[in-house]
Amino acid sequence: MIYRETGQFKSSYVSDQAIFPLSQDRWMVFSVMGVAFFVVPFVASEYWLQAVLIPFLVFSMATIGLNLLTGYAGQVSLGTGAFMAVGAYITYKITTNIPDIPILVVFLLAGLVAAGVGIIFGLPSLRIKGFYLAVATLAAQFFITWLFNKVGWFYNNNPSGTIIAPPRTMFGIMITGPEATAETRYLVGLAFVTFFALLAKNLVRGRIGRAWMAIRDMDIAAELMGIRPLQTKLLAFAISSFYCGLAGAMMVFLWLGSGETETFALDVSFQVLFMVIIGGLGSILGSFLGAAFITILPILLTNAPPMVGIVMPIALSKHLEEIIFGCLIIYFLVVEPNGLARLWQIAKEKLRRWPFPY
Amino acid sequence: MPSWANGSGRLPEPEFIFLPLGGLRPMSQNGKTPLLQAENISLSFGGLNALIGISFEIHSGEILAIIGPNGAGKSSMLNVINGFYHPQVGTITYKGVTRHRMRPHEAAAKGIARTFQNIALFKGMSTLDNIMTGRNLKMRVNFLLQALHWGPARKEEIEHRKFVEGIIDFLEIQAIRGVPVGRLPYGLQKRVELGRALASEPDLLLLDEPMAGMNNEEKEDMCRFILDVNDEFGTTIALIEHDMGVVMDISHRVIVLDYGRKIAEGTPAEVRANQVVIDAYLGVSHD
Repeated sequence: MIYRETGQFKSSYVSDQAIFPLSQDRWMVFSVMGVAFFVVPFVASEYWLQAVLIPFLVFSMATIGLNLLTGYAGQVSLGTGAFMAVGAYITYKITTNIPDIPILVVFLLAGLVAAGVGIIFGLPSLRIKGFYLAVATLAAQFFITWLFNKVGWFYNNNPSGTIIAPPRTMFGIMITGPEATAETRYLVGLAFVTFFALLAKNLVRGRIGRAWMAIRDMDIAAELMGIRPLQTKLLAFAISSFYCGLAGAMMVFLWLGSGETETFALDVSFQVLFMVIIGGLGSILGSFLGAAFITILPILLTNAPPMVGIVMPIALSKHLEEIIFGCLIIYFLVVEPNGLARLWQIAKEKLRRWPFPY
Repeated sequence: MPSWANGSGRLPEPEFIFLPLGGLRPMSQNGKTPLLQAENISLSFGGLNALIGISFEIHSGEILAIIGPNGAGKSSMLNVINGFYHPQVGTITYKGVTRHRMRPHEAAAKGIARTFQNIALFKGMSTLDNIMTGRNLKMRVNFLLQALHWGPARKEEIEHRKFVEGIIDFLEIQAIRGVPVGRLPYGLQKRVELGRALASEPDLLLLDEPMAGMNNEEKEDMCRFILDVNDEFGTTIALIEHDMGVVMDISHRVIVLDYGRKIAEGTPAEVRANQVVIDAYLGVSHD
């Protein structure tokens, strides 16, 4: 099937405003989703699910969250790790104290708490912008990890100071805890990410998305057009932190099984920010591409040499992997500073004219 | 290229007529009730007096030109009107309500829209999205429904899209609907900016040098749009412009500022004949 829009007439605004106006795009997305839901859980090994796909989902969620804030609303944040920590710790706190609430509802509640925390740390954004705001959000990063370390209440005063995912079931299926299968955790994560990615896309193509982008591109003009900067920015912080909180909850309860404040250190904030930048600022698809690039590529690089029969010392392969990974990041940013999403768009434009370019 | 511009798909003509923005109002050129009344406005930045004791009125339905040499305080005047600057002295009465401090977004909510001297479009967004942003104030659906893009949210989006398509037709920018505005040539960007201001159905439209940097043809187009907006929709327009030919041709009244003071006011013909204005523009010989 050639990627071509010839003959696809849009005869209503509904069809013109669809997320995927081209039927080829629609089919591709549907088939990817179909494979992800119905094929992958049956064919993927435990290693692939646990080491590749689940982290990819967790980071996709966090990257979508940060992309809403940084890519769409233009507010740079280095507090992603902190908001993820809020999601994880609050989930732990709620589910250990009130085990009866279904665990997925607890995820959402924790997301809401993270949203509230996001609003508080988003307040400086009214006065400061850009790098200065990034530094101000560092306060969230350091304060929250300190708080969760210091105040035993958040981890039920257990001596190790870590939070451990307790076994929880929903509809009779074990979702978290040591007995939950990787397949289940993968499917739950996938369902979450799919649903919330759709919500994010809907938000950014409507009034709120336009308000965010207006603030990002020209805040004075936006204000003169009736967009209230404080509300708009705080909403961006709230929704972004909600997504990050969910990602944090998923990280501990669907992926790692346990966590401590170190799990959500500044590295994580930077990692998610890199995913946003490499994937493409202001693109939901880019969030997935960026998360895939940073979570999956190192694993591919580790596994590729043995696959083709090259054997080398582990230390050497580890270093080579980091060198290649760094070079690829630089390469992609030089080739297309607007990220992988833009590369993908260019590829599609080229494909439209192929094989008869004019 | 936007996908629909390739001859592959056409959007239907919007099934509505571009109806008067802000409602029909009788033209009242020597107005009884001014739409906006500025009294004794003084604005200073530190030691710099940008505006000194300026009073004037904007009447409903007129095109008012504010002219003056560079640095005369014209843009500051517009910024005062839409609440971006707060004058130290003086009051502004708009639609019968006197206000002292007003935030820009409140001015927007009350029907004051503007364009900028240096284009202030949202560069990363398409033409369509830019103009749709002008409708944001009119949109009411809460964000949960929007996130689901369901029912009322979807309906509202379509409704406003229809209105915006009307503006796009009016400004003859159908072909650049889907193009990110950063890629458009200057003249078209100015036009999109006018469209964005019109989208909010303003009662008072402030245009800061709408013709700056344009060639003659583009200027003529822009004049036509300004006159049409004023004529068909009854929108009151206050504009700053340096092209005297344009100012004399399209405005009903002219206010002349120089060094922050109002030095003349009247019809274009009166202002043109005013010796003080001629002196301000050409300088006075000191002999």
